[in-house]
Amino acid sequence: MLACLLVLRQENYGYALLDLLEQRGFAVDANTLYPLLRRLEKQGLLTSDWNTDEARPRKFYRTSAEGEQLAETLGRDWDALDAAFRALKGRL
Amino acid sequence: MTTLTDRYVDATLRRLPGRQRADIEKELRTAIADAVDDRVEAGDEPAAAEIEVLTGLGDPARLAAGYADRPLHLIGPALYHDYARLLAVLLATVVPAAAAGVGLVRALHGAPALTLAGDALSAAFTTAVHIVCWTTLAFAALDRLPRLRPGTARPWSVDALPERPSRRARYAELATLTVVTVLFCTFVLLTPVVSTEVDVQGEPIGLLSPWLWETGVVYAFLGAGVAGLGTAFARHYARWSVPLALASALVEVAAPLTLIWLVTADRVLNPAFVAAAGWGPDTTRWIGIGLIAMSSITLLQTVTDGLAQARHR
Repeated sequence: MLACLLVLRQENYGYALLDLLEQRGFAVDANTLYPLLRRLEKQGLLTSDWNTDEARPRKFYRTSAEGEQLAETLGRDWDALDAAFRALKGRL
Repeated sequence: MTTLTDRYVDATLRRLPGRQRADIEKELRTAIADAVDDRVEAGDEPAAAEIEVLTGLGDPARLAAGYADRPLHLIGPALYHDYARLLAVLLATVVPAAAAGVGLVRALHGAPALTLAGDALSAAFTTAVHIVCWTTLAFAALDRLPRLRPGTARPWSVDALPERPSRRARYAELATLTVVTVLFCTFVLLTPVVSTEVDVQGEPIGLLSPWLWETGVVYAFLGAGVAGLGTAFARHYARWSVPLALASALVEVAAPLTLIWLVTADRVLNPAFVAAAGWGPDTTRWIGIGLIAMSSITLLQTVTDGLAQARHR
């Protein structure tokens, strides 16, 4: 979810996002990602727009200001946890 | 011609609320088409690519549940504990009560023992099924409609820990039990010689049926009572063990069961005494009901106490 919010600072649509996340090392199932995008949109963390310029209408998502804020908080939590793990491993 | 994709999309949309459908359909179709195109570009057969993509998306029911944000469980972890506890309490109290009630009514109507037991059992079963069904439904509804939930449950604190019965309190209980047993035995044994009614020769008429003495049932009954007292002492002083618990449960169940049998067989009161005292059939019947109710309560308490103690070990 955090990865989603971070990646979607750059506007993107479902299937391309799936690919992009996998390239960046976040393997996620399509049937998890699509509902997740909807949920995040409903919570106001993503905004969406239909792009009908191309042959296929595509729904483009982008991280909202609120999503940006949450991503920052979650990122900090993650870093703290990571640091804690590192300290633990270093001591053993 | 309907394609696999059409069928897949239909199967997903069918499980979604109407207002979400159009939007999700467009997005889902595009996503599937994109994925299929990708595979075809990589050299797959279109038909095989479609099958592979849809297989990758998995069960439409699961996908729809994800879209609708619908839980895939009946009762979630937030409510499960309350549910289990309430269900246990209801089953442990209402079911025996219903069985006892039905049994009592049937006994009053003079039903044979087999019919009585069958009716009581079926009443217990029906009650249990109803309790489980409605409680589960109510909690499933609560789980789905958070608005119905009455505030957050009281947070757990150490005050909620069950109190250990103090040794002193248990000793007082034991002393009371001893006194009651001794008084009761004395009363029963004295009834043939001490009575409010006398016959024409001036001999006392016993309150209890002489049949009890002729067959020795009264001694067996009192013996069971005294043995029950013995096991209460054994439980107080010896460590809990399965054989001891079983033995004491058996002994404690024996006396009330015998009493119920005696009442239903009409062997408790002395007919001569009833006639001499001028009691009507109503009086004797109510005495019978009282005795059966008392025995049932004792039985119930024995069972619940036994279970509670077994759980504490």
